[in-house]
Order: sequence, then structure tokens, then C-alpha cells
Amino acid sequence: MLAFLSGCASLQHDQVQSDLLFECPKQTADMLVAGQNQLGPLSDTHTLACALNVLRDTQDPAVRRTALGSRICLHLAEREASQEKREKLAAEGVRFAETALAQGGNGAVHYYLAANLGLAVREHITLAVENLGRLESEMKQALALSPDIDDGGPLRLLGALYLKAPAWPNGIGDIDKALELLEKAVKEHPGHPLNHLFYAQALWEEGEEDALAQVKSEFARGERLLDEGNWGYNKASWKKEFDKFRQEFEEAGSVSHSPLASGLR
Amino acid sequence: MMRKFYLIIAGLLISLAVRAAPNPEIIVVCYPGGSVNAKDASEAMNSMLRVVERVGQWQANSFNSLFTTKSDECRKQMAGKKPKFAINSLGLYLELRNQHNLVPLVQPRIKGRTSERYRVMVRKGKYKSLDELKGKTLGGTALEEPLFIGRIVFAGKYDPAGFFVLKPSNQAIRALRSLDKGELDAVILNEQQFAGLGSLHLGTPLEAVFTSEEIPLMGVVANSATTTAEERARFSKALEGMCADAEGKKLCDVFGVESFASVDTAVFEPMVKLWIEGE
Repeated sequence: MLAFLSGCASLQHDQVQSDLLFECPKQTADMLVAGQNQLGPLSDTHTLACALNVLRDTQDPAVRRTALGSRICLHLAEREASQEKREKLAAEGVRFAETALAQGGNGAVHYYLAANLGLAVREHITLAVENLGRLESEMKQALALSPDIDDGGPLRLLGALYLKAPAWPNGIGDIDKALELLEKAVKEHPGHPLNHLFYAQALWEEGEEDALAQVKSEFARGERLLDEGNWGYNKASWKKEFDKFRQEFEEAGSVSHSPLASGLR
Repeated sequence: MMRKFYLIIAGLLISLAVRAAPNPEIIVVCYPGGSVNAKDASEAMNSMLRVVERVGQWQANSFNSLFTTKSDECRKQMAGKKPKFAINSLGLYLELRNQHNLVPLVQPRIKGRTSERYRVMVRKGKYKSLDELKGKTLGGTALEEPLFIGRIVFAGKYDPAGFFVLKPSNQAIRALRSLDKGELDAVILNEQQFAGLGSLHLGTPLEAVFTSEEIPLMGVVANSATTTAEERARFSKALEGMCADAEGKKLCDVFGVESFASVDTAVFEPMVKLWIEGE
């Protein structure tokens, strides 16, 4: 918001300087790439910050064409409480992905580019609107090239984009497309909590009263997966997403005096 | 046009609860038939309010809002909150103008115009006139306000609820897909929706069997009994300066609004006349 009000309608350019770089393990970019499956939501923030620091300095094309740098930025950004730092990390994730794509890249790179870009612009209306087309394009490429990455992440993100974006004729928002993609996400990747949450949100947004039971069941299924699974540092932020939707759902029920108010308990 | 206008004008006036002034002025924002999520709208448009407060030299967070896409909820909030300023559809303004002493303040100018036309669209060649649609299904977002459609858009010549089988929708694109598949016989579109048809890839060409007269775009209204002339003038001036402001212009551009113009109340008089005739 401050960036917007100061007239700066572009992604953040400077890096977040982590204060967690003490006692980093001696590691090379090659070592990180070899063990990249170990770097994820279960990794502690110190480990990710150290890894990012190494990747920032590498010029190895084989490393720079991977999605690793972008992915680590996304994990760090998602757990960052400060909006300014979160957006800087996400913007750096976009730059990592752009570099990777310039050197070949793959579906995962498109996916993490889109995820980071969404995180970087979502609080800024003009930036978000300006980037809707790019977000859609990157997500479509990720879907075409790597549909199964991150438990159906491309399906989930593109579905959520169509759900949240301004609807036609103002924007690319499209409830039919959102429902189609998110239904596919829950069918093909039923183990990811957010697939169920976003599908529940799409069904709710559709506004069909006969879908109310399905909204509740998808929400409950997603929440159960979240509660019972080991989602590491993602768990807290995803829990907030569930709680926000529960609140919205209950407020809507309260306003319309319908029985929705007790719906998601 | 109306949707585009509502979005930008809502953004001008909606604020988040955070850091709100001690007694923020409540603005009731009514967007009948809209597909906008009220919470998303509030968050997305918050920045616009800050700009208009600065342009109008109000303390930051001087305004707060209540947003609804339901006509019934709008009536309730207008009665309960008795706002000094509000954003209403033309239909709600006409309905509530006497009860709440409403006077129009500003209109948006979009593509050089401060008015729009509504059109009833059918699959090309299927029907030749509106009369042939008697008893047929009619969809569209505008049907959230059937009285407005009957009295103003159809100028009192057709009662939508009696003439058609109404199938309201909160997403125009859905109604158009249903028309394309033959599940609906006709869809009513506002100017902005009509202008956007070219971006859709429908299987069947569409044509208009009815086009309304020019209907003024509705904007911000004030309660003339609870606001002073000075307050109304200040509010109008701030909105008129919105799109000329460097930061405000970016937001106006996002929504395709060129500027906000002070209202010539004479343009609403024929609408009031049509409304009264339909009562």
C-alpha cells in the first residue's frame, strides 16, 4: 500500500538481508541442488535463509536454471510476518524464476514464478490488475508442463486466480473455470488441504443453495487434512486461510439470517 | 458501465477497519447483482479511499463503508445507518430518494459518456423482437432490480416479472454461456457487458432485439437533510479531482473511468418521471 501511495507501481527490487546467517553450514550451490528435496515447508527458517544466501551468489547455469531459488523465496515469504519483507522475498523469487526461464527453465519454474508474483502483488490493486495476464499465462504454462507439482499446485493456483480475479467483463475472473480446475484438483490431489478449501470457496461463491452441504464437507475435509498432516511452517498460514473463510461464511450467514451461521463448525 | 463505475466509486469510499478515525463516516455502498466479494472489494479498493481523502483534505480514515450486492440488504443499511453519502444504483436511488432525501452528486465519465444503454440479447435469428420473448427465459445480472428494468430500461412498457421467466445471475458470463447453449432464451446486458462481448468466444452469434434509451450512470448520492451544501460541494470536488491526481489516475485507469463529473440534476428528471409513472 505504501508503495502504491508513493507512486511506485512495480515489484520490490532490493533483497531482504536475513539476520539468520550465523553458523550456516558450509555448502555449495551444487550440494543444495542435489539435496533440494530436503528444502521445503519442513525446513527451519535458518536453513532456508542460509541456502538462499548461497544461491544468490552462484553463477552456475545448471543451478540457476532450476526452480530452487524461487521455491526457497516462496517458502521464506509465506512465513514472513512483515508485508514489506514478504513482498521483497516474493519479488526476489520472481527474479530467480525469470533467470531460470532465460536459461531453459521448466514447469516448476513457471509455477514458482506465478506463486511468488501473486504474493508480491496481492496487496496492491494496480500492480495486481497489471499482472493478471502474466499470472494467468505463467500458471497455464505450469499446468501444461507440470500439472502435478506441489499436489496439483498449478490447478489450485489457476483455479484460485479465476475465483478471486474481477469477473468478466472487468477481468479474467470466471467462476465456471474456477470450479472446473478446483474440482479437478481435489479429485486428482485429494491430500492437499488447500485444494479442498479453495474448492469450498468456489462452491460458496457460486451461490447455489444446494451446494451448501458440499461446501461444508470440502471445508471439513481440508481442515481435517490440515490438522492431521505434517505441513511444517505452512500450517499456521494455511490455518489462517481456513479461519478467514469460516468467518466470512458465518458473517454471510448472519447477514442473510440463513442457517449458514452454524455451517462450518 | 455501471459495474465498472460501482467498483471504482466503491474503492473511493471503502476503507479497512484498521486505523480508522475515531468516528468514521459510514458510506453505504450498494452494488446490486454484482459478483464482487464484499470483503475482497473492501481490501482491494481501500487505497482509493485514501487518495480521495487526501484530495479532499480529510483526515486519513475519515470514512468507512458497508458494502452489499443485495438490494434488500442495501435498503436495510440505508434505513439503519442513515448515511450522509451513499453509492446506489439508479434503481435504488429512484426507490429511496424521497425516504432518505437523496440527491445525486457525481457521475462517472467512461469513454466520454455519462450514460449507457441496456440491451436484450438473443441468439442471432432466433427471435425478431421483444414481443416474441413473452413467456421465455431472460437472464442477466441486472435482474437483481426488476422494478428498475421494468420502469426505466423498458420505460414501463414491459413488466419483466410478468412478461418473462426471470433467471437472475450474479455473473454475466454464466448467463451468456447459458444463452449460447440454448438454456436461456435471452440475456439483458448493460453497456459494459455489451462492449465486452467481443472478448468472449461464444459458439453462436448474438444480436440485440431491444436497446434502451440513454440512461444516466448513477454515482454518489447525498442525504440533503443531513448534509450541508458545503459538505456536498467538498465531497463532489474531491471526487472530481480524483482522476486528475497522479496517484488517483492510476486507479481510475485500472477501472477505465476517465473522470467524475458533477451532476446535472436535469438528466435524472426523466428517470424520476418514469419511475413515478410505474408506481
